Amino acid sequence: MNRNGDPALTPFMQSILRPFTNFVNAIKKDRYKSLKLRLFFYIGTLAGLPLIGIAMISYFWVFNILKDEFRDHLRWQLEDSQRSIESFLQEKLAGLRFLTNAYSLDELSDDTMIHTIFAKFRKEFGEIVDLGLINSEGIQLSYAGPYHLKGRDYSNQDWFQEVSIRGVYISDVFTGYRKMPHFAIAVRREMPGKHAFWVLRATVDVETLNRFLSSMQLKEYDDAFIVNKDGILQTPSRFHGKILERAALKFPVPAQDLSLMDYKRDSIYLEVGYAHIKQSSWVLGMVVQSTASSRMIELFTKDVGTLYLIIVLVIIGSIANSIITSSVVNRIQEAEQRREAAIAETEHTSKLASIGRLAAGIAHEINNPLAVINEKAGLMKDILQLIGNFPNKEKFLSIVFSITDSVDRCRTITQRLLGFARRMDVSLEIIDMNETIKEVIGFLEKEILYRNVNLDMNLSENLPKIESDRGLLQQVFLNIANNAIDALQDGGTLAIATGKKDEDTLQVIMRDNGHGIPKEVLKHIFEPFFTTKEKGKGTGLGLSISYGIMQKLGGTILVESEVNKGSTFTVEVPVKASIDLRGL
Amino acid sequence: MSWRKVLIVDDEVEFAAALSERLLLRDYDTKAVYNVDDAIAAIKQDPPEVLLLDLKMPGMSGIELYRTIKELYPSIEVIFVTGQACQDGDETIPRGAFDCVMKPVDIDELTIKIDKAKQNIIKK
Repeated sequence: MNRNGDPALTPFMQSILRPFTNFVNAIKKDRYKSLKLRLFFYIGTLAGLPLIGIAMISYFWVFNILKDEFRDHLRWQLEDSQRSIESFLQEKLAGLRFLTNAYSLDELSDDTMIHTIFAKFRKEFGEIVDLGLINSEGIQLSYAGPYHLKGRDYSNQDWFQEVSIRGVYISDVFTGYRKMPHFAIAVRREMPGKHAFWVLRATVDVETLNRFLSSMQLKEYDDAFIVNKDGILQTPSRFHGKILERAALKFPVPAQDLSLMDYKRDSIYLEVGYAHIKQSSWVLGMVVQSTASSRMIELFTKDVGTLYLIIVLVIIGSIANSIITSSVVNRIQEAEQRREAAIAETEHTSKLASIGRLAAGIAHEINNPLAVINEKAGLMKDILQLIGNFPNKEKFLSIVFSITDSVDRCRTITQRLLGFARRMDVSLEIIDMNETIKEVIGFLEKEILYRNVNLDMNLSENLPKIESDRGLLQQVFLNIANNAIDALQDGGTLAIATGKKDEDTLQVIMRDNGHGIPKEVLKHIFEPFFTTKEKGKGTGLGLSISYGIMQKLGGTILVESEVNKGSTFTVEVPVKASIDLRGL
Repeated sequence: MSWRKVLIVDDEVEFAAALSERLLLRDYDTKAVYNVDDAIAAIKQDPPEVLLLDLKMPGMSGIELYRTIKELYPSIEVIFVTGQACQDGDETIPRGAFDCVMKPVDIDELTIKIDKAKQNIIKK
């Protein structure tokens, strides 16, 4: 590339600036991407916040209701079991009391009699293992049941001590002689007139107590058990120890009748309930892990439909959001690009205009001294040609000719500069596009012949007549055709076609199969003073002027080019020229 | 052809003088003046047939001078000589002017135009 003045500066600067330009473009792209993301996030947040708020409020609301309901349910279960156990014990006590009143010591001492009574009693009250009569010395006088316990001495056992003092007693669970965990219910009967008493005792299997506990609806990680006042387990427990062992309880047992408490153990929330069983030293305990929050999760996991609905709604919302965001950002991007393009075009136009004014000023100033040189040299030429031979005449003449030739070259430049700057007086007339083209080709005929260029004319018939400026159009076509011929090797082809682009626009396409225009050059092709021709052969104004002319006439010039394949210039000419008053 | 009288009016002395000499060599009865006053005086003294007039001059502009002369001597044909474009929008060449040439002047083009202007006069 050969640019007047500073040949290599522009490509050099461009190569320096290219990484920066790429960076700026990348930032621009990223900017829109991040704008999209931000917008997506904002819209999502704005739309989602109230929803999340409502969801949270509802959650806590439902949670509290669930929690209350859950506690009520626990309390109810606890109370129910407590009452069942109490009434069971009460019933057995009442039965025993009745027996002590209904039968005498002698009757009960009779083995046959006690077996009959035991059978009847068991039939009515059930769930008792055996029945025994013990005198004030602690000796079992008679016994009915599966074990052989007649004659056993209970005087040292706790329950006997207690019943002899209290009169009525329900023992803790113990294994005793039979080696089976059970508990005893005993009733004392005073012998009137004597300082002696007898005791009627029935025993109940721990299994019976277990039945009450298992009737409570417990979940996998829940536990229910009975402990005595010393903390010894009276029933088997899932998680808190074996029967008759000290319960591994970490929760204090309250003194009140029934209480429910929240506990946190190993970051697990627990609901702990206690209920004292009347007539005994027992406390019914309940440790429930399935708290309200786990119920809440159950509520969601059980109701899969709701969960799916929520997920589907969120997905639909996100898609809608992303569509809206994309379209908004794309619009913004388009608008900005249009604005940038408009600014670039305005800049280009005003650049052309100011260069034009500058060029005209320079041309005018140069023309005057140039005219003097021209006339002086011309005069010298005249004189030399008039006078006779003298030494070195030919040399003088050739010098003078080279001066006038140089002046001619200058004149070409200054006159084109002036033409470029000129406020073109457009004179509109009705013209035939094909005729106009043919006239232009007429100017170039000699060149075409001389260079042996193949001319491929493909002029469309039936083109509408157009209203435009013939002279200006011809100047444009001449410029482009001239360039095309310059680009061709001898024997190349210049194809010229006319046609209709649409109802309002004709197009003239000039295609050459010459050396083509590199991309770097293509960018500057319409700039004034830009030329790739040899020094002195081009002013770099032809295409720039042509571009200005087509702008003026309301048309445009488009160019496509591929190196070594050729260039295509498309001139779009409006059927009716709309004179653009801007710019040149 | 002795009455091909040409007057050159141009403030660029070297240009006007050289052009005048060249036209003389080509058998034109040429005279050059370098300002408006001298021009008017010269015309009054001996009216030329063709006037070569610079468009821009100090004092009275070429166009003003043209109007004055055309009023006094309508038969004189005027060819403007300008350093600017001949169709400049601001200072358009007046309608009555015969022609316009741009500086630097091509002497052959100029003589053809002068001859045409003279033929024009003869037709009248």
